[in-house]
Amino acid sequence: MSRSSTRSLRWLPALLLMLGTVPADAHHSAALFYNSAERITLTGEVARFNFRNPHAILELLVTDEDGNVVRWTCETSAPSALRRRGWTQDSVVAGERVTLEGLQASDGSKLMRITKITKADGTEVGVTGRLDD
Amino acid sequence: MRKHIAKFLCSTAVACAAIVSAQAFAQPDISGYWMISFGAVPPNRPATPFEQAMIDSLPPGTKLLADSGLVEFPPGEFGGLELTEASKAMVANYDMNVQVSLDSTCQPPSIIYSMQGPFPMEIFQGTEMIVIKMEYFDVVRIIFMNETEHPADWPHSVTGHSIGRWDGDTLVVETAFIEGSTMMNNGLDHSDDLKLTERFRLSPDGKQLVFTQEFEDPAVFAGRAARLIPLDRGEGHVYPYACDPSYGAAIENREGQ
Repeated sequence: MSRSSTRSLRWLPALLLMLGTVPADAHHSAALFYNSAERITLTGEVARFNFRNPHAILELLVTDEDGNVVRWTCETSAPSALRRRGWTQDSVVAGERVTLEGLQASDGSKLMRITKITKADGTEVGVTGRLDD
Repeated sequence: MRKHIAKFLCSTAVACAAIVSAQAFAQPDISGYWMISFGAVPPNRPATPFEQAMIDSLPPGTKLLADSGLVEFPPGEFGGLELTEASKAMVANYDMNVQVSLDSTCQPPSIIYSMQGPFPMEIFQGTEMIVIKMEYFDVVRIIFMNETEHPADWPHSVTGHSIGRWDGDTLVVETAFIEGSTMMNNGLDHSDDLKLTERFRLSPDGKQLVFTQEFEDPAVFAGRAARLIPLDRGEGHVYPYACDPSYGAAIENREGQ
């Protein structure tokens, strides 16, 4: 399984946490669902990408150390906001290999809040790293 | 009678221009596309003089909440509000999975939460009504400018029943019948009996629309709370939201729970 921890916070979440608040996730609370103190990385094959509100869902098939395929459910910001940054339903295609950075669900389930998507050729899909849409 | 007075005053060009100018000042045009200002919002940063004037217009003792815009309070933090015993029990027993269940995925929150969220809104200003079309969950608010009282039997909803009036250059909106819903997205809900007052003011350069959201809900917390919400003028229209409930199914069926 291609998974690593960077334990890094970008400046905005760190600043907001210093203020005693956390970034808004609008639909559901990022503070309740995700471990914002640890950023993880996943690499795998896209099984499905549904670019619809309230959050796009990218299902990623990741092969773990034992050779088992694990299905991660990964969500983005609101598609209506991402569309203004150039995203479309075709920004990610089923069958392609991608690397995702993001936050894992606090309950340890295979749920990720995506902050960055990188395609196999190194191209980054337009995610800003914000958790505020 | 008023017509005769205006005619008398308009007997000189200078007086007539003054009347026209006063009318224009009294009812600014707040129509257009507005997006929440990115970055910190008071009290998380010092207020501008324009914002401070709006904060100063809040009733004495009002608690200004620090969760406006791009931030939310973490679990257990409620902005210093004194919760009732019933509300303390509510937040203690809160199940966060409700937020992503299939049943609730496409259920919009009330305007107490949605008006300060990170989505744009579009305002259409008329004389008898002002319409606020929010991108978030396709929610549409109608502010009745030609009514002065709430109907006795209005059904509760996420938008409630809103009546508006101009107080000089400030649009004052009173809303009742707001259906119980989240206040802070962290387990604290308001009740069906919440009373909301909003005051909207256009900045002198017309580039910002700043409003306060002031509310009371004795069943949930003591006293009065408020948010200051600055919006930036933009171009275009809000997009359809078209919520897809399959999101909730995907989250509910995630592996490793």
